[in-house]
Amino acid sequence: MDPADRVLFERSLEHAVANDSGRPLDSALVELGWHDALTLDPQTAVATLFRLQGSAHASSSSLDHVLLHRLVWPGSPVTGVVLPPLGQLIPPGELAGGELVVRGLGGAALADHEDALVVARTGGAVIAAVVPTADLALRRIHGMDAELGLVEVTGRLGHGSAARQELPPSAWSSSVALCQLAVGHELVGASRKMLELARQHAVERTQFDQIIGKFQAVRHRLAETLVAVEAADALLGAAWEDGSPTTAAVAKALAGRAARTAARHCQQVLAGIGFTTEHEFHHYVRRVLVLDALFGASRALTKELGVELLTTQRLPALVPL
Amino acid sequence: MELAEFRLALDSWLDENESRLTDDRRAAATLDEQMAHLATVKRLTYEAGFMRWGWPPRVGGLGGSTLLRAYLGEALTARDMVEPGIYSMTEVLAPTMIDYATPELAATMVPRLLRGDETWCQGFSEPGTGSNLASLSCRATRTAGGWRVTGQKVWTSLAQFADRCVLLTRTGTPDSAHKGITALFVDMESPGITVRPIETMHGAAEFSEVFFDDVDVPFDRTLGKEGQGWAVAMDLLPYERSTALWHRAAFLHRRLERLLLAAPPGALDPAAVGEVAQLLYALRARSRNTQRRLAGGEHLGPETSIDKVLVATAEQAVFDLVADGLSTDILMEDDPTSERWRREFLYSRAATIYGGTGEIQRNIIARRLLDLGPDR
Repeated sequence: MDPADRVLFERSLEHAVANDSGRPLDSALVELGWHDALTLDPQTAVATLFRLQGSAHASSSSLDHVLLHRLVWPGSPVTGVVLPPLGQLIPPGELAGGELVVRGLGGAALADHEDALVVARTGGAVIAAVVPTADLALRRIHGMDAELGLVEVTGRLGHGSAARQELPPSAWSSSVALCQLAVGHELVGASRKMLELARQHAVERTQFDQIIGKFQAVRHRLAETLVAVEAADALLGAAWEDGSPTTAAVAKALAGRAARTAARHCQQVLAGIGFTTEHEFHHYVRRVLVLDALFGASRALTKELGVELLTTQRLPALVPL
Repeated sequence: MELAEFRLALDSWLDENESRLTDDRRAAATLDEQMAHLATVKRLTYEAGFMRWGWPPRVGGLGGSTLLRAYLGEALTARDMVEPGIYSMTEVLAPTMIDYATPELAATMVPRLLRGDETWCQGFSEPGTGSNLASLSCRATRTAGGWRVTGQKVWTSLAQFADRCVLLTRTGTPDSAHKGITALFVDMESPGITVRPIETMHGAAEFSEVFFDDVDVPFDRTLGKEGQGWAVAMDLLPYERSTALWHRAAFLHRRLERLLLAAPPGALDPAAVGEVAQLLYALRARSRNTQRRLAGGEHLGPETSIDKVLVATAEQAVFDLVADGLSTDILMEDDPTSERWRREFLYSRAATIYGGTGEIQRNIIARRLLDLGPDR
């Protein structure tokens, strides 16, 4: 996308995300050509939409499309897709003895689709199966963030109910990496919004005859937040550039950590009002906690990286000049 | 010269010349020995041309992107051929000369710094002037032939080795704050200069106190115009937070990798290792963006305070991990390798103090980047 197109694209996405969420946003994204953009320029499409979505506290089924994007599925019909279980990176299905066991998550739109794509492990291979959505049990999750509209997906499907195809070995990890970048951008968008809300409060709220934004304790919390968010954003950019699953996982983990840092500091600066439902802040706190757990939680990803480094005793030279 | 081509040529030259460029003493080297070795490395890389790339031809450079300089420092640091702190002084002081010295002075002096013929220092802080740089009081008064300087500087890195000093002086009234500061380029051999090295907690006299008693400095050694010293200082600091910082990141990368090899099994907590590694990668990603902006001719400003907070945080995190993973070595052992870990650990305690404290960086971020207004 050239710079002028990018500006237009961003502006129309901004408009869509500000006005719609859920199914209406899905329709708006089809109309403005986001799915074509995902094919033509994945970085712009993913980074822009998910950042805006995070900032506006909107949701859509775009993550499904990001997951499908790199899964080779000839003539791939537009199906629903089952995401990995919360906190995990493994495919949501396991095929053994002719039975497909499904344990994962779905977006709000999953129930609208006749079929759902389930990626499953079987022996050493990974397959994609298309199963009737009606054969899966869907439980609407309210939990921490009811507005996200996630459903818990479970099922045991017997022989014959699924059309299957083996996937190339790297397809799943490459799809996961793309989803991690998407969720990473959404976390960064939400973190920047939390910072904006706290900053606004800090320049308006007066105590001891001055705005609280004059107090160094407040200023440093906000500065700390900006450092964390900028670091995560820079690493997301680097992950797009090198395209490796390792960098994507590191960037996702750091975005999750940055969001927790932002939530902690901004909550404290917003103080009483930020603790009420009269202020929008609580939506973001809820959202980032769930996003952090999608496609690998920061804590687990961080430990996994540490184990890998201690085993290999090598620190890969990611992010070369 | 493109970066890819430079990288290839430099890497193979470094391979071929490894023994000439490596200090046999390395871990055990004293600061004097490190300085002598640094001069050798600079001379060799200058003669081979690599040190000249990324600098403008009018100061003896061969032109090309500043990314070439960033890569040279990274490669030398990653191979443990130089200590990044003393190497990167060039990155801070040479751009200042190029921007503010008379063209003749810059053309004469900068090549001497690049080639390792000379060492320069930076006279900014004073006993009463730490974080509040604009309150400095080292006085320069006009005489018939130039400036006469009287006052004291402190924390002047490498002053005892230095041939020249980029010195901030008060030329306005005592309360003229940042408006009454003038930068001078002073010969350290000038009569009236006394240098007293200060032994630091990490066991090297890297800093000095410098006393100026009626030191005469010719007018043509003024950097910029009279009263422009604050701009000189402000333009210098982003260099400290760009290329020099990229070199520091390369050093931290090497030392963390070294720690992975050296720590006994089970001594390191995987989660802590993962956190520190992520921090280092984030620092590299952020700093790389800054290198690219610098190379693209952008003016670097207060946003580099974010880079500085990241490098200071990463440095202390790496060496906190060292203190966990190699605690016996650091606490009990006296061999050169343990001594080096100990020295580096102790030095890392200053990472949030030198070059603008962590608090000052956060103040800059709050005021300039978050637009929170003045804090007083």
